[in-house]
Formats: sequence, structure tokens, C-alpha cells
Amino acid sequence: MFDLGLKQLIENCKINDTQAQSEIYKLFSSKLFSICLKYSRNYAEAEDNLQDAFLTIFKKIEQFKHQGSFEGWLKRITVNTVLQRYRHEKVFEIIPDDFAEDEEIEIDEDSVTIDYLLQIIQELPDRYRLVFNLYVLDGYSHKDIASMLDLNIGTSKSNLARARQILKKTIENYKTTRSLQSL
Amino acid sequence: MKERKHIDRLFQEGFKDFEATPKDAIWQNIEAKLNQNKKKRRALPLWWRYAGIAALFLLLLTAGSIYFNNDNSLPANQVVDTESALPEKSTIPNNAIISSNNNIVDNIDNKDSNNIANSQNSNNSIQRTSVSNNFSRTNLKPSTIKSGDQNQILVNKNSAYKNSSEENKVAKINQRDSDEVISEMKKTNEKASSNKKDISSMADNKNEESNPLMTANPKNNSTIEEAIAESKKEDDATSLNKWSVGTNAAPIYFSSLGKGSSLDAQFNENSKSGEVTMSYGVSASYALNKKLSVRSGINKVNIGYNTNNVIVFESIGLSSSSRALKNVDTNNSGENFSLISGESVSNLINEPFIKTSNTSVNQSLGFIEIPLEIEYALINKKFGFNIIGGFSSFILSNNELFSEFNGNRTRIGEATNLNKVSYSANFGLGLNYKITKKLDLNLEPLFKYQINTFNNTSGNFKPYFIGVYTGIGLKF
Repeated sequence: MFDLGLKQLIENCKINDTQAQSEIYKLFSSKLFSICLKYSRNYAEAEDNLQDAFLTIFKKIEQFKHQGSFEGWLKRITVNTVLQRYRHEKVFEIIPDDFAEDEEIEIDEDSVTIDYLLQIIQELPDRYRLVFNLYVLDGYSHKDIASMLDLNIGTSKSNLARARQILKKTIENYKTTRSLQSL
Repeated sequence: MKERKHIDRLFQEGFKDFEATPKDAIWQNIEAKLNQNKKKRRALPLWWRYAGIAALFLLLLTAGSIYFNNDNSLPANQVVDTESALPEKSTIPNNAIISSNNNIVDNIDNKDSNNIANSQNSNNSIQRTSVSNNFSRTNLKPSTIKSGDQNQILVNKNSAYKNSSEENKVAKINQRDSDEVISEMKKTNEKASSNKKDISSMADNKNEESNPLMTANPKNNSTIEEAIAESKKEDDATSLNKWSVGTNAAPIYFSSLGKGSSLDAQFNENSKSGEVTMSYGVSASYALNKKLSVRSGINKVNIGYNTNNVIVFESIGLSSSSRALKNVDTNNSGENFSLISGESVSNLINEPFIKTSNTSVNQSLGFIEIPLEIEYALINKKFGFNIIGGFSSFILSNNELFSEFNGNRTRIGEATNLNKVSYSANFGLGLNYKITKKLDLNLEPLFKYQINTFNNTSGNFKPYFIGVYTGIGLKF
């Protein structure tokens, strides 16, 4: 029943029915906004990206032929919108490709809030953040990431390693300062 | 490995069910932008987009024709270049000429000094100088250089002077040495004078010959000017007839490509026939180049279309709404008429009276048409042949429905589904015959496919009309 309703909504969106567009937004904006938050530098840019993503979605919705998941299609458009914005940001490359392959990156599974995790992801340099998100949170392979971001696979791997290292360090520092404060 | 996954898992688990609701303002922004796009789309009807493409096409062609016109002026530029290059080139041949002339002069001197006593020899030498001068002249001829010519002339003059002075010497010597032989003296004098004449004539010749050379460049200049003038004339000639105005009249036949009705779905299956009506108007065209012209104008178009086998009756006591057709308003005709398709009724009641009393409904429409068309000439002689394509805007000016029964026409109302403004895509052929250079007779069968004429038709109703436009065009 829901699928039938969704299908009708999509069809109505294709003829620019504002009501249907509003419904689609209500259904998916939260999920897509979470993607934007993870991939963007900050909250304001995440909002901009969400807006751009929805405009692209409604512009391209007539191309959606009900093959495969609509939600997946929406997520891909959203990720692409964000990537387009940050793809060409250069990251100063100092690490060799095989960097930190064997290095242990562990962290105590302690109480760190989701807001904090989001904050430190957003603070990562653009490309580290994108690679980390794509690989760790959205399950893309290094091969996919390399083609999406126009990188070498090796660069993608080293970016991921670097991102992990930065995140680990940040969390550790955070914990240290917090435990010091609690003393 | 396990440890490394740890940090990944921390994030994966953290973001597993992460959702964040954006502010309401975001949707308002999106909605506003979507509406903006919609308005933009509405403001650009299909016709305008086509018109845009047509305009672009025209622009490209205009640019093309300008480019080709520029091609004509290119040779003139080249000539200018060689002119400016001339002084540079002239330096080398100059030296050659001077040196060759010097040789000639030397030769003359030698020969003259050798043959001072013998006037006949000096005569020979003068003849030789003429030969050598000729030689130098032939050398010069290939190079058309002003300064070179002048040098030659100067040198020739010098040689002529020298020759003449030598002749005088010869004459004097002859006078002194052979005072007794008057006849001889006379001879030499004659010869000297004849030589002088020769020399002067030679000098004249040279001047004459150098003159053409001198004037060669001015001649070139004049030919360039002439060429420019000619091309200008050509331009003038074409620009003279760039504009053309004309009148046209055409019988119009209106019909539909698909089955269907503009009035109501119940008439979809009824037989229909177009009426032959008239269109007349004026047009103006502008020739972009020899092949292409763009034209517009204003036409009054009447269209008639019959839906046959309809039963029309006055509906007294019936509420008009119950009988109302989808796209017909019968109320303002004073009486209430109702229409039923004879096709549907005859299926139910097969009575002879129905067939005899059935009428046809005639839809009579009038439009003001403003065409924008491009004419491309395939043949452009006394008899011309064109391809015509373009678009028209139609403004509705007349909208009536009549019932026709045994030749009686009764107005029963009007259609409610006609758009005030509609469009058509036009395509056709143009034949014209040039009576004079200024006056054309035109015959243009045109097909006009109507777009957006009706806003609520039943079935597959795709109206078009065909007109055979005849008219006279006046070029100026």
C-alpha cells in the first residue's frame, strides 16, 4: 500500500505537483539531511546541500523508472550533490600511499555522543571526510571512491588511513582533557 | 585488524540510525525555487522555444553571410599588402638596374671614344645603346617598380645626353676634318640629327614605356577601386531589393489528423468535413541574402468545420446543464439548444425520421494570424522555387456554432474550449514568377499544424489547415 502510494507520489512529482513534492520531502528529508550533515563541513553547508539535492531530485525525477529502490536513488543523488561541491577541494598530500596500513587504530568504546562524532567528521579536511564517509559509513569500495572522486585507489586508501588517524587522535585528546577535567 | 575496525565500528554504530530533521525554512526555499522554475516554464510556451531556435538559425546564417561578404574584400587587402611591400622589394632590382645601366653607359663611352672619327660607327654605337637600353628595359619589365623605372629613365636620359654630346663632337670633328667634303658633313649632320631624333624618340619611347610602368600601380589602384565599387554596386543591387511587401489570399481547408471532436466526446465517431474558407492578408519580407529571407505579416483567417449527423433540438423544459456538451455554450444564443450525436441515437432508435432530420453542426472560427516564416530559395531565377517553414501566432477573433439544416443556418452558441492565443507550425512550398524585377507573382501551398488551439478536445483531435496562398509581392 505504501509502495503504491509512493509510486503515485513519484508520478505526480513528474508532472510538477507541488503537493506530491512536499510529501516526498517530508518522507525523505531527515534521512537525506543526515547524509548532508556527515558529508558537509558544517550545519549551514549541510542545509545548502540538502536544498540543492532536492532541487536536483525534482528536476531528475522523471528519469526515475521505478527500477531499484527510490530511497537508494535519492541517497545517490544527495551524495553526488555533496561530492560535486567538495570534489575539487585539494588536500595537501604528505602521506605516501602505503601509509599506516599496519598501524593499529583503536579507541576505547566509551561514551562519545553522536553530536561529537558528527562534529569531528565535519572538521576533517574535505577529501578525508568524503573518503571516510563513503568507505566506512556508506560501504563504497576504494575502487568506487577512486572513480567518484577522480583519485587513484592508493590515494583513496591513504586518505582513509589519514582520516582514521586524525579521528582517533581527536577522540583521544578529547578523552584525556575530559578525564583531566573530571579529576 | 580487529582494533582498526574498532574506530570504524564506533562511527558505523553511532550513525546507524542517525537522522536529522532540517528546518522548515529549507522546504520553503526549495518550494520557492521549484515555483520559480515552473513560472519560467510557463512563461516560455513551446512556440517561443521554436521561435528561439529559428532566431538562432537566422543569426547563424546572418553571421555566415557576413563572413562570406568579408571574403570579397580579402583580395583588396592583399593588394594593399603588396603595395606596401613594394619599396622594400625595389631596392634589390634598383641596384641591378643601375649597374646594368652603368655598363651600358660604359659601353657607349668606349664605343663612342673609339669611333669618334667615324660618325657611322658612333651611329652604330647609338644603335647599340638603343639595343642595350632595350635590353635593360626588358630586364626591367618583369619588375613593376616605380623607383626602378625612374632610375631607368634618368639613366636613359643621361645616356641620351652623352650620346647627343658625342654626336656633337662627331659633328664638330667632321666639320673640322672634312670641311671640303660638305656632302659628307651633311651626311654626318643628317646622321647626327637623325641620331638625335632617334635618341629623342628613344627617350620618348622610354618615357612612354616607363609611363605605363609608372602608371601600372595607379592602374592597379584604380582596378582595386573599381572592384570595390563593383562589389558595392553589387551590394547596392542586392540591398535594393531586400525588402518586399505583398498581399495574399488563400482558400483554406481545415481538418484534423486524428479522429476526435473539439466539441464533445459523443461526436468523436461522427463524420466531419472541413469547409473551404478564405484567408487574406498582407506580408512583409526581408532578404537576408540571395537564398534566405524572413517574413512576417498579418492575415485574417476564417475556418469552417462541420460535424455531421447531429440532432439539434430546442430543449424546452429540460435543464440545459443535463444536455450540455463538454465544450459548447448554448446559453447566450437566446434559445436553449441541445445537441445529440446521430451516431449514438441511431444505435438505439432506428427510425427513419432521425436520419432525415439530422443536421450538421458548423463551427465557424476566425483568427488573426501573425506568421513568422523563413523562405529558402532553391531556384531563384525568372521562375523561383522556395521552401518555407515557420510558425504563426493566432489570436481568436470569431467563435460561433451553427446548425445547418436544409440550407438554413441557425446560430446555436459558441465553443468554450478555444484558446485566445494559439500557434501553428507551418511548412510549405513557394512558387513565384517574376513579372518584372520588382514585381512577383506567388503561389504557396502551405500546411499549418495547429498547436494549442483547443484546450480540451475529445479523442485524437489534431487540427491543421491547408491553404494555397496566392499573391503579389513588390520588392523595393
